[in-house]
Amino acid sequence: MKKIQCFLMLILFVCGAAVAQKKVITGKVTSQTGNDPLMGVNVLTDKQKGGTATKADGTYSITVDKNSTVLIFSYVGFTSQTVIIGDNTTIDVVLAPATTTGEEVVVIGYGTQKRSSVTGSVSKYQNERLEESPNSRLDQALQGKIAGVQIQNLTSEAGADPKIQVRGLTSIGQTSGPLVVVDGHPIADGLSFVNMADVQSVEVLKDAASAAIYGSRGSGGVILITTKSGKSNKTKYSVKYSTGVKTAYELYPMMTTSEYTNMLFYEAALKAMDPSITPPTANQIASTAERGAYIIENQLRNGASTNWQDQAIRNAATKNLQLSISGGNSAVKYYLSGGYQNDEGQMYHNNYERYNVKAKIDAQLSKRIKFSFNVTPSYIKRERPSVNYIDFVRFQSYMPVVLDEQLAAFVRQNPTYANVKAGDWAQAYYFNARVYSGLMPDGSNWINTTSVTPFNTSNNTPKSVMETRTITSNDYRVLSSGDLSVNLLPGLDFKSLASFYIKYSTALDFAKRNSNRAGDVNRGQYNDQLVIDLLNENTLTYTKRIKEHSITALAGFTLQKGSVKNEQAVGLDYPSDNITTLNNALIKDQSSDNTFTYIERNGLTSYLGRVIYGYKDKYLLNASIRADGSSVFAPGHKWGYFPAVSIGWVASKEKFIENIHWISNLKLRGSYGALGNNRINQFQWIDLLYPANYVSGSGNGGVSSGFIPNRDLLSNEIITWERTFSYNGGIDISLFRNAVSLSLDVYQSNTEKLLLNQATLAFTGATTTINNIGSMKNNGIELEVTTNNMRKKDFRWSTTGNIAHTTNSITNLGGLDFFLNQGERTEVYKNEVGGQLVQFFGYKTDGVWLSQADINAAQAAGLTSSLSNVFVPGGLKLVDINGDNKIDANDRTVIGNPYPDFTWGITNNLTYKSFDLSFSFQGVQGGQLINGDANYNETKRYNSNYNQNRWLSPMFPGDGKTPYSSIGFNWMLTDYVVEDASFYSLRDILVGYTLPEKWVKKARLSSLRLYFSAQNLFFHSAAGYRGINVEARSTGAQYATPLVDGYQRGGFPIAKTYLFGIDLNF
Amino acid sequence: MKYFQFFIISIFCLAICSCKKTIDLYPESNLNTGTFYSTYGEIQAGVSGCYSSMRNPQLREWQLTELRSDNSWMGVTGSTNSFNRDLSDLDQFIPATTHAGLYSYWQDSYNNIRNCNVVLQKLGVSYDASSGTIGLANITTPVSDVDRKQFAGEALFIRAHHYFNLVRLFGGVFLIDRTITPTESLVINRSSAADIYKFIEADLKAASVYLSNLKYTQLILPANIANLGKTNAWAAKALLGKVYLTQNKKTEAITQLQDVITNSGYSLQASYANVFSIFTEMNSEILFAVRYKAGGLGQGSSFGNDFGPLNSASTVINGSGLGWNAPTTEMDTILIASDARRNINIAIYGTGVNATLYVKKYLFPVTIGFDGESDWPIIRYADVLLMMAEAQGFSPASIGLISQVRVRAGIGAVPASVNTTALFEKELADQRRLEFAFENQRWFDIVRYNTTMTTVNAQQIIKDHFAHTYTVHYSTYTAPTPTLAELQGNVTANRLLLPIPQHEIDTNTQLAIPQNPGY
Repeated sequence: MKKIQCFLMLILFVCGAAVAQKKVITGKVTSQTGNDPLMGVNVLTDKQKGGTATKADGTYSITVDKNSTVLIFSYVGFTSQTVIIGDNTTIDVVLAPATTTGEEVVVIGYGTQKRSSVTGSVSKYQNERLEESPNSRLDQALQGKIAGVQIQNLTSEAGADPKIQVRGLTSIGQTSGPLVVVDGHPIADGLSFVNMADVQSVEVLKDAASAAIYGSRGSGGVILITTKSGKSNKTKYSVKYSTGVKTAYELYPMMTTSEYTNMLFYEAALKAMDPSITPPTANQIASTAERGAYIIENQLRNGASTNWQDQAIRNAATKNLQLSISGGNSAVKYYLSGGYQNDEGQMYHNNYERYNVKAKIDAQLSKRIKFSFNVTPSYIKRERPSVNYIDFVRFQSYMPVVLDEQLAAFVRQNPTYANVKAGDWAQAYYFNARVYSGLMPDGSNWINTTSVTPFNTSNNTPKSVMETRTITSNDYRVLSSGDLSVNLLPGLDFKSLASFYIKYSTALDFAKRNSNRAGDVNRGQYNDQLVIDLLNENTLTYTKRIKEHSITALAGFTLQKGSVKNEQAVGLDYPSDNITTLNNALIKDQSSDNTFTYIERNGLTSYLGRVIYGYKDKYLLNASIRADGSSVFAPGHKWGYFPAVSIGWVASKEKFIENIHWISNLKLRGSYGALGNNRINQFQWIDLLYPANYVSGSGNGGVSSGFIPNRDLLSNEIITWERTFSYNGGIDISLFRNAVSLSLDVYQSNTEKLLLNQATLAFTGATTTINNIGSMKNNGIELEVTTNNMRKKDFRWSTTGNIAHTTNSITNLGGLDFFLNQGERTEVYKNEVGGQLVQFFGYKTDGVWLSQADINAAQAAGLTSSLSNVFVPGGLKLVDINGDNKIDANDRTVIGNPYPDFTWGITNNLTYKSFDLSFSFQGVQGGQLINGDANYNETKRYNSNYNQNRWLSPMFPGDGKTPYSSIGFNWMLTDYVVEDASFYSLRDILVGYTLPEKWVKKARLSSLRLYFSAQNLFFHSAAGYRGINVEARSTGAQYATPLVDGYQRGGFPIAKTYLFGIDLNF
Repeated sequence: MKYFQFFIISIFCLAICSCKKTIDLYPESNLNTGTFYSTYGEIQAGVSGCYSSMRNPQLREWQLTELRSDNSWMGVTGSTNSFNRDLSDLDQFIPATTHAGLYSYWQDSYNNIRNCNVVLQKLGVSYDASSGTIGLANITTPVSDVDRKQFAGEALFIRAHHYFNLVRLFGGVFLIDRTITPTESLVINRSSAADIYKFIEADLKAASVYLSNLKYTQLILPANIANLGKTNAWAAKALLGKVYLTQNKKTEAITQLQDVITNSGYSLQASYANVFSIFTEMNSEILFAVRYKAGGLGQGSSFGNDFGPLNSASTVINGSGLGWNAPTTEMDTILIASDARRNINIAIYGTGVNATLYVKKYLFPVTIGFDGESDWPIIRYADVLLMMAEAQGFSPASIGLISQVRVRAGIGAVPASVNTTALFEKELADQRRLEFAFENQRWFDIVRYNTTMTTVNAQQIIKDHFAHTYTVHYSTYTAPTPTLAELQGNVTANRLLLPIPQHEIDTNTQLAIPQNPGY
């Protein structure tokens, strides 16, 4: 201690000696973000009383006496800065926005709170340059940025929803995605339309105590989005434009027909050398279908082959233009913005276009009354490809896309296709049932007299389907809210908010005549949806500080009611493919499955209360309760109560720590609370009737009305709220004058009365029933660290990192030990008490059977099996797990799970003079997926990830691990299809340059910035992974339950995006 | 200040008042079972729903019957598509207990049994298992006594239809005579086949009493014709006759069948084509059919497309065919050119090496694919005649009954050479096979012959079928190729029944549900 004092004295002395008398210092204060001049910044010296403030252009002038050694610049929302005066007469300062410590303000739901007094687990993400990242949606830009928030791009389709989980799964029956609240209004699809350029901050309420104020629906966490508001300064105009291009990171390594047939003949040549097997016959080397395809490619097409993946994807362009105007005075502040974004998907016929407008006004009407009004209309136009990417991948290269004259003439030789012309889409059936003969890859001449069908299908090629069927949708949304705050008494405020959200979307799926198959009539499907959601919130807030006690109390009630109206109509047989309105359809489909309107209303009534108490800003307490009544439950079961309490201790304000100079902040937090989930469909407590009409009467009969109860679900009147109880413990530390700050949270949550669609015995007449059954548990730990590595005037470097680990386990399944769920391709998922929610369940394998001798030896040792295709040379070798020498269903075991060990992200921000650089790495470690590619014959044959190094014969066993594609045990039931889902990526990188002010001034601009950003420049998947997009997940709709997870069927390529942008302010 | 406080308090009050209204919501787009079935029209709609839901199991019934018999096979032997593989498994007598098609059929059947039970409960109809009778509770219903019995009879007939199919396919199944909760279901185990038959008999006996017994000639009078297509006493008696015959209760069967022949007014159509024509639906031969209607009404039949030739574009039927339920080459052989039934039942698509057989019975032109008009006959008068012959056994009267059917088909009376029981039984079995080709009768018929006939054996028929078609069909399966011995070995007495779906065994954790032997 002494030493430090001496050192400081020395500095003071040196400085004091240099400054002999009073002098005037001038300069300018600007903001680090956007280089905007800051008005009203307090400028003080360390020794003399009084100071000055900066003017509107950010300049200041201050007279300092000889005692003053430093200037202190402070401004709300920014980190204060101290500059040694020395010999300088001009001191320009760039203030950085306040970082995660200090007096940062955090939005907590129905209010805000200083970061220093937060006792729950709340993460805040704020990035002035959010819209400069090469993402089209806000949620995608948040990937890897917040500890404990896992965001996964299930597909690379433009505009598609990613999967978001806050602290893992808390529900097994129902969706457990977070509640999204946009400026106070809970909106289910909030993340899909909020304009990134308008986002001020994103807060995530992670623990029960924080989220409990949203009680009912907070069990999956709460994401609060706060949009920008005007500030009291002169009008600022901002124009931002960016444009970029998207390409595929990687494609599937598919062989052409010729390459594949060459491989077959090469393999046959090898097999012929193996004396232990009979040499393959001509048909065993390559089937007539394979030979036919080879001849089409090499003779009819003269060696040309089609790369179908190239037919699916393109280098896509993106464009983004954002304009905003903000300003105001102490009475009225405004923020206006308009934006246009056009994001092409990598696949043809995939476009996402968005128009946004926003206007926000905050007005102080009188001393007591404040008013704010906000309106946000948006329009999203979207086109989705009508064919899955995987259908292109699987298509064989011998097929041309369109017919040329030579091929058309060949096709016309079949009288059925006499009218086929050059330029028509080529179809597989044109080439079927024809006689092919000719040279084979080994030089032999294949003489064939019978007809050959290379690809037995009546479906059209994916490209022709894609071009003849279009799926478009238009979403029109308005979110508008107004609120009025009245100061009733000193410290007592009443606020009433009314908000509405309206979404109208209209979609058309139109397939032209013969689109999918020859003979199909044209078909149009019209879907309209109208969503209305009204919210009224009334709160009383009382804030009081008595000596060292501070108290903030909140009481309120809210009403939210909404309706969803769905309309669908289907038309068939249009005279022309070019007029697609329903009035032209010859047939209007009248079945109740296809043509209907459906309306459903919902309502939620809530009462809430909260007390935040602080003693000396050191001992903190936060207690809240919310009561929710929901329309989804039966009368008598509608209400749920969600209390929470949290405490905090700011240890760094204790005397004994205050003196430890390297600790800037130390806070301990603890919380416990209850949350709910009611996200089930309305009216599952009552047996609904659905139309089942029938025909009677003479002739062809007339239709009479019929009704039957719901075929799928038995009602249950006593279902009620699913409840999650969770503990959270946390510690916030800042060290070395905030050079290092970290937050560590540990949590456990227990969910009870899980709302589950439980399987019933089918002889009851329905397959599921809804029930409050079972419970599960989540444990986790998450860490956020920010370091300021370099804080020089010209060079700043900070690093923010987060890492999270979560595990879940089922603690009760209503008395059952486990459920087994069969997935899309017979793979099995196990949900077991004591185990993780979803586990892959199947047979372990130990390479392949190398030879019949190998099998004979095993069987001689007593190994048997009741299953088929177990003992096949070149097929998978199953492990006898239970050691009973019999391979059967009892040998199935857990072979993986879809849950990562941990997820992480690191972002570095560097600025050097006018340059800035930021880059984020993001990754997931551990966890597996089931790769459904292995199920498809085409993938097994033509994808070189599946056919290289495969077993051929005892003499040529390949690597001993890769089975021959068409033989042996079903791969989908084994760990052969379970692959490591870990990855890490250079998710995004941003390089910016802000032009020097003197240049910009001449153009009457306040700032001009150029930037370049890129996404996924580097993406590394784990070694065992055989696909191209490890994040992709997809499964058929009937398997889309939380009890089935981790299945991937043909991932869409990862998008590599480059973006260039310009940012003007004046 | 006072003003503000008043304002706040009044807002709070307002909110509390409107709370209840916000969350007390009831379905607006759907009716519900709690309030429905309170008028004549509503009960009628409930019964219509039961008729309509007969279509669901019927979508897959051919897989469990025709495909396993010698009438049809899985056409695309090289396919590794999971649906096609499931079909091959049935065709080759090796269905897994987890077979998707079996489970769907089971689900759909029990779903409609529930629909029937809902209506029957509303009408106060119950089953007394000890006496094996159906009773009517002494309650007030929204309909007259005559209507109550008519509606009850219709639901009982439909319930019996499903149970009759289930018991023949799966053996003793679960006897569910009322709506049950998931908890109640956990203590219900399989009943014996005998108890199920007792239940079916009770349903059909009650139905034949409750239902209208107007003769066919009266049914088509303008006053009654709106109900044409609904079941009646004659359909119930004919089906009851079949239930008796299946149990080898020939005397009881004859009583029912004779009643239908003598009193129903139903008769054979002059031409076989008329029976199935969409222009003569519900003709005098159709005692009961599941009805379909084309025209984008959601009432169409998909069978024309399902059974149409694969890759035929719109040359055979709009929307192409799927090539399911492909006739075996045996059908091509036995349906001789002069037989009027040939061109109704099968046709050939393509020429030379590419020629494929397909089922034509339900194939009439459609505007939109999978939206056909053809009804699917459940029981028809020719069946009544041939069942009568089967019940009576080898006799001149029986020969006469078979001859009626033969003459109508244009192949003349039964030749005099049919002069032994064995020849008679063969002749009867052959005529039934041709007459009811692709009507899902053949499988049930051959299994029944094991008890009603002395010289015809179901297992032998299937083994012979494998032998006849092995080289042209079953040997073309790849990976793996079954041997003939393996195929014939699959045809055991046990495998004449299908396995109980594994789902029903796995889901019940309280009771051990016995699987059928051999699975």
